[in-house]
Order: sequence, then C-alpha cells, then structure tokens
Amino acid sequence: MFQNRAEALALALPAAIFAAAVFLVPVLILLSEGFRSAAVDGAAGGGWTLSAFTEFFSSSLNRTVFLRTLRLGAIVTVVSAVIGYAAAFAIVSLKPSTKGKITGLVVLPLMISPVARTYAWIVILGRTGIVNQAFQALGISEAPLRILFSETAIFIGLLQLFLPLMIISLISALENMPKDAIAAARVLGANWFQVFWKVILPLTREGLVIGGTLVFTGSLTAYITPAILGGSKVLMLETLMYQQVSVSNNFVSASVIAFILIVMSFAANILLKRVATARNRVRTEARGTQ
Amino acid sequence: MTARNFFIPVTLFLVIAFLIGPFLIIVAASFSAGETLAFPPQGFSLRWIAKVFTVESFRASFAMSLFLAIGGTAVALMLGIPASYALSRYKLPGAEVIRTVVSAPIIVPGIIVGLALLRYIVVPFGVGITPALFLAHTALVLPYAVRVVSASLDNLRSDIEEAAVLLGSSRLGAFFRVVMPNIRGGILSAFILGFVTSFNQVPVSLFLSGPGVRTLPVDMIAYMEIVFDPSVAALSSLLAFLSIGIVFAAERFLGFSRYV
Amino acid sequence: MSDLKYLSLEKLTLAYGDTVAVADLDLDIRRGELIALLGPSGCGKTTTMRAIAGLLTVKSGHVRLDGADITHVSPNKRAVGLVFQSYALFPHLSVYENVAFGLKLKGLRGAALDAKVQSGIASVGLNGFANRRPGELSGGQQQRVALARSMVMEPKVLLLDEPLSNLDARLRLEMRTELQRVQKETGVTMIFVTHDQTEALALADRIVVMKRGAIEQIGSPQDIYNRPQSSFVADFVGFENVFALEGGKLKANGGLYDLQGDVPAVAGLAWRPRMVTLGSGPFQGKVRGTSFAGEHREYLLDTPLGPIKAEVDASQPMHDLGAELAFDLPAHRAAPLASFA
Repeated sequence: MFQNRAEALALALPAAIFAAAVFLVPVLILLSEGFRSAAVDGAAGGGWTLSAFTEFFSSSLNRTVFLRTLRLGAIVTVVSAVIGYAAAFAIVSLKPSTKGKITGLVVLPLMISPVARTYAWIVILGRTGIVNQAFQALGISEAPLRILFSETAIFIGLLQLFLPLMIISLISALENMPKDAIAAARVLGANWFQVFWKVILPLTREGLVIGGTLVFTGSLTAYITPAILGGSKVLMLETLMYQQVSVSNNFVSASVIAFILIVMSFAANILLKRVATARNRVRTEARGTQ
Repeated sequence: MTARNFFIPVTLFLVIAFLIGPFLIIVAASFSAGETLAFPPQGFSLRWIAKVFTVESFRASFAMSLFLAIGGTAVALMLGIPASYALSRYKLPGAEVIRTVVSAPIIVPGIIVGLALLRYIVVPFGVGITPALFLAHTALVLPYAVRVVSASLDNLRSDIEEAAVLLGSSRLGAFFRVVMPNIRGGILSAFILGFVTSFNQVPVSLFLSGPGVRTLPVDMIAYMEIVFDPSVAALSSLLAFLSIGIVFAAERFLGFSRYV
Repeated sequence: MSDLKYLSLEKLTLAYGDTVAVADLDLDIRRGELIALLGPSGCGKTTTMRAIAGLLTVKSGHVRLDGADITHVSPNKRAVGLVFQSYALFPHLSVYENVAFGLKLKGLRGAALDAKVQSGIASVGLNGFANRRPGELSGGQQQRVALARSMVMEPKVLLLDEPLSNLDARLRLEMRTELQRVQKETGVTMIFVTHDQTEALALADRIVVMKRGAIEQIGSPQDIYNRPQSSFVADFVGFENVFALEGGKLKANGGLYDLQGDVPAVAGLAWRPRMVTLGSGPFQGKVRGTSFAGEHREYLLDTPLGPIKAEVDASQPMHDLGAELAFDLPAHRAAPLASFA
C-alpha cells in the first residue's frame, strides 16, 4: 500500500472526471428536469415541482406501461428462477467434463448480439412462423395467431435474453452449498419439497438474489426486446421513453421515466448489496469465533 | 432414481433448445434461397450472406461500430488502468466515491445515458454525433475496464513492485517491468469484454445517430423495420460467429472467464 | 564513518497518516553484524525495517548508512536488499531472470551478467532450477531465489522480513544454517525481523526487543535470555512467573509477600518455571494442571499469588491434581527487572 496521495489522485482522477463529465453530470441534470415545472413545448423551466410526476401517472397509457414493465419484470424474474433452479440442479449433478460444456452452451447466448437473439423470435412467432405453422398443422388454430407484438412475445424474448444470468448465479450458489446438507435433511426425514424449501432455498438465497436482481433490472431496462417484439403498440418504459422523445418531443416526461427506471434499478442493486453484506457479516463473525 | 435420470436430460434439452434454438434458426434462415425471412428455409443459397457485404449502410455502420468498440475500449483502458491501479495500490481518501462514479454507467440504463449526452453535451456544446458516440461508448466500457483490471491487480501481490524498486528500478519502471506483464491477461480480457459490450450496445446509441452515422445494431433494427428479407439474419449469424470465435480464442489462450 | 556506526537510526519517528508507529528511535548497528528486531506484531519492527529500505517516508529523524545520510534517498538508490516474507518473486520471470533483474538495471550485460547470475544461483544451491518459474518451486526454494536475487546486488545491508516463519520445522533449521553461512562468507550486515524469540536467539549476534514503537532492550542472545531488563522482555523470553516488587516485598494479587534471601532493590523479579522450587518453601499452592514433557514435568498451581508455573525433573514423584504443595520463589535465582510495566 503506497502513501502518496497526490500520486494516487493523479492516477484516479482522469477516469473519475471523465465519468463525471460525460455521464454523471448530464444524467443528473436530466433527472432533475423531471422536477421542474413543464412548459407546453416540453422543455423544462421555472421552479421545482412534482407536477410532471402527477401528470405522468394521470395518463392511463403511462400507467399501463408502468404496470406492464413492473409486471413483465416480476414474471420474467419468477419464471427464470423456477426454470433456473431446475436447470442449475441438472447441470450441477453432471460430471465435471460435461458440466463445463453444458455451462458453456448456457453462457454462449450472452456473447451473441441481443438484436440477433431477439430477431430470431420474429421468425418463430410471426404470422407465418414456426409456432403458427405447427398450430395450424396440428389443428389447434385455424387462422394464424397474433403472438408477435404482444406481452407474451416480450416475455418470451426477455426470458431467453436473461435466463442464462439466473442459471449461472444459481449454479455457483448450488456449488457453494455444503455438500452434505441435502443428504442430512433427507436422513432427518424431510421430503423433497421440504428439502427445497427449508435447506436449498435458504442456502442459495444469495445466488437467487444476485440472479434475480440481474434479471429484474435487465428486464426493466431492456430496449431491444420490447422495441422489436412489442412493436409501437405494446410499450415498456424504455420504448415509451424513446417515443416521448422522438415522436412527442416531451423531454420532461422522458426525465420522469428516466427517474423511475433509475430508482427501480438502484433499489434492486441496493437490495443486492444488502444481501451480500449480510452474508459477509456472518462470515466475519464465524471467523472471529475460530 | 429413474425419475431423476429422466429429469436431468429432459430439463437440459428443453432449456438449451430454448436458449440456442432461436440462434440456430437464424443461422438456417440466413442460408435460404427465398425472398423473405422464413423457417424452414426455402432452398439453400449464399445470396443473403453475400448481400450483407453489398449493403452500403451496413458497411458504414459496421465500420462505425468497429471504430467505437476498438477506440472506445482503448480509451477506457487508458483511463481505467491508472484508476484501477490507484484504487488497488493506494490508500486513497474518497476511493469509494471514485469507484462509484467510475462504475456508475453500468447501473444506469443506456437509453438515459444516450439522451442525457444528446441534450447536455451534443446540443449545447455543438459536439458532433461521432465524437458523442465515442464519449458514450467509452463511458459505457469504463466500468468493465476498471472492474476486470482491478480484479487482476488484486490478484497480484503488491510487494513485487517494492522488490523491483529495491533492486534499482524506478516506480514507473517497476510498473512496466513487473506489473504490466502480470496483468496482461486481465487487460486483454477487459478489452474483449469491452469490445463485445460496445459492439452489441443499442440503447446508448439510439439518440446519438444522424444521417449516415449509426452503429451497426441500430442500423440492423432500422433495416428490419423496412425490409423483411433474410439479410439481417445473415448479418446476425456472421456477427455471432465472429464474437463467439473471439471469446473462444480468448478463453483458450487467456483463460478469459477467470477475469470476467 | 566508523564501523561501530555503520548503520544508525537517529531519533527516527515513523507514522502511518496520523498514527505514530515508531517514536524517537535510536539504534547503531556495526558493520557485518547480524541483528534481530524482535517483538510482537504491531511493535514497529516491520515499520522500522521498511524505513531502512526507504519504502516508508520518515516523519522525522535520520537514517545513516556507511557514512551517508540516506534519509531521503529513494529506495532504488540505497543499496539495501530486502527478502520479503512472501519472497515477492516476479511470477512472470524465470529463476535466472529474477536473479538477473537488478543486475541488468545496473547495466550488466553479456558474460559478466551471466557469470554473476550463475554464481548467485549456485550459491543458494539451485543449480538446475534456472529456467523454472517461481510457481514451480517450493516455498524453501523460492526463498533461496529471493535471497540470491538480493545478494547478487551486493547490498550494504540485507533486510529479511520473518525469514523463517513460512517454512516448516525441517526447512527452518536448514535456512537458519544457510543464512549464517551467507553472512559469514560475505560479511554482509543483516537485519531480520521476527516475532519468534527462538529464531532471534538462535540466529542473531544482537537482539533488539521492541514494544509499541520503542526499543525495550538491546543485548546479546545470552543477555536477553538470562537478564531481561523489563517485565515485557522477561515475559517474551519465557519467564512465566513475573512479579513487581514493592519495598522489598513481592506484590501479587493485591497483597505483599515476603521472600526468602536477599531481595535486590529493583522494580520486579521474574522466574522461569524451572527456577521455582517445588515441595518446600513458604508458599502453598494447589495443583490445577500437570503435563508431561519428556525430560521434565510441568505444573500449574493455584496460589494466593495467582497462577504459578513450575517445572521439575520427570524422575521426581508425580503430584496429583488437587494436591496441596509447598513451593518457593527463591530471590537469588530470579532475574532482576529494572522496569515493570
């Protein structure tokens, strides 16, 4: 550990100043605009007020989009947790060489451009897509169903986009779990449901929260998926924000959305840190008693 | 036990089919001979793969994305390496503040960064779209650069620098003689991670585009809204294989996943 | 310049931020001496060593080496070698390149460089390992590389940070012999830092015992072992029964006790367990614990003076737990302590 403060600042400040100037200050100004009284042309001016927020939520379209964003975030998180546990379990129980390969396949989609990954769903879910072809061939439906440009389509796209993050988090949580915990619970007479609820879930809580936060914030702030699979009608907060700026020129409303998005992501991140530090405290205490 | 033996392969098959399947369909569709995007593909041809290289806007936006990803990541590393070094080797007052400021762009949704830059840097200061994109992508990659380089610095003992100094090296000399060679893998990994992040980034670049100035993914979205032919599928496949290839090579030669 | 004051620390004060780690320290070291800085963690021994190396900015005072004031000379120009506790080998370089590192910076090239590096590697018995990386060596081998890397630079002073603490018992003995041999052959002035009194006693010409940033006692191993000057040093070198004196009487547990024989006029007295007479004497104690240690047997007694540790020849009859025993703390056998803290 070196002591020279001036030297340290000289090394660290360029990056900090760059991030502050290019990122922090503009974003803070943008957020502050949501609290200024709005003029008719959409530019901010005048004193501080919450009117932009009340106005934003007074629109039923905005409320729908807000609730849809929250709902999709929640559903994608819950479903990815359920599938994630099943997949992580299956992967952890594999022998090491296969485990590495399968984990690689799970991680692989993360390397592919989200545009490409989302684009594939157009081929699958479109009017002449595979799903509709199959449904008609099997006689489930007569005319092609409209799956694309719906919440369902966005849900599928988001799930595919973020599921890998959940699976990876749960794999490492399951691997860090004491090996004999499940066997011990079984010996003590717990059934599989009880084993999951009383042993596995508490012991993998941290991995679940990390994965959950990544999936939830990812879903809230995704742009590409709702833009491509939701179209211009089924909006989420990010696509609404884009519309407010590029179509309606309403910057105050965009600032309000930005504020909501940031508050929600930060809340999720703080929750993540809380859980992580809670676990560290337990660890330090355990070390102290040795 | 049989239920378990059944459960594992079926679960894995379904999950991987869901994750990888769409990508395989895109790859198949890009070899179609038909006029529109469809699966199963109609016939086999390389026409759409070939077409990708002839679309002028793709060529321009690919060059732009490549420039941003390489240049932005390089600048982010030039800022990020000294900052990581200061954060890991010095007892710095306000270290947490600096760390938070530098890694904040990772938490804030890209669309907000893009809009903020447009309104408060581009418009008032008359900055061009290309420089603005460059700033945005650099800021976006900076958190990854700092995180990955910090991780490899933290894994490196700091007393080897003292040892080098006591053997006659200057402080700066010690950095280049004994620190750099040992964090080279981390820096390259940071570069690859930054490159992929920047290249695939959409929301930051949405507001920062003008006539003829667009990043490749934004251009792809714009193209697919107008034309429904398989060329975007072909381009997606090409890009995917490119990034998978880069990451695989990085894993093989550097142990990429250790740093990320 | 004199050989008696080859390295001297004058009124040296060292601090981390506002926390003073070493205050007003004076120490003179002779040319070719092997010095141990001994003390518990946090006593300032490592801080002092780092200041000699120049890795720590001196707050006030002076460091003089071979007649020159090096207080503000930067560490790369001091000709001071340091063998780190963790060895601090360069992981990306081979043994050969590690040893050559400093010589190359001195401008040595070609055959001259090669000869020096080879003889450095040979001097620590690592022929045949020149092309290995540090990661492929055992802890003991790594330490030899670190030693060779410092010694080829022909430093005026060689500092060693806890040189034996990371080694197992067998290697420790080997390394001890090795360090003594190197010192004898080269005549280099060596200072090593340790918290282990047996290491200091076995290796050093002179021991500097430190406590809370100050020197508690300086002396030969015999001095330190047999004639501790303070209760702290006595306790540190194995006098387990340490008491204050007040008006010629032993002060213990809030009471004053008469001792038999002539009581010197000092601050305190200290007895090793084997200096305690068991079976006769003016004091009474109850056996609380006993353990067999081969040649002898150790007893822990509950007494009005507090717990007393005694040690007798194993051939003597054994006392049971709970037995009441007479014992004596003979004043003439005790180490007189000039200061009691």
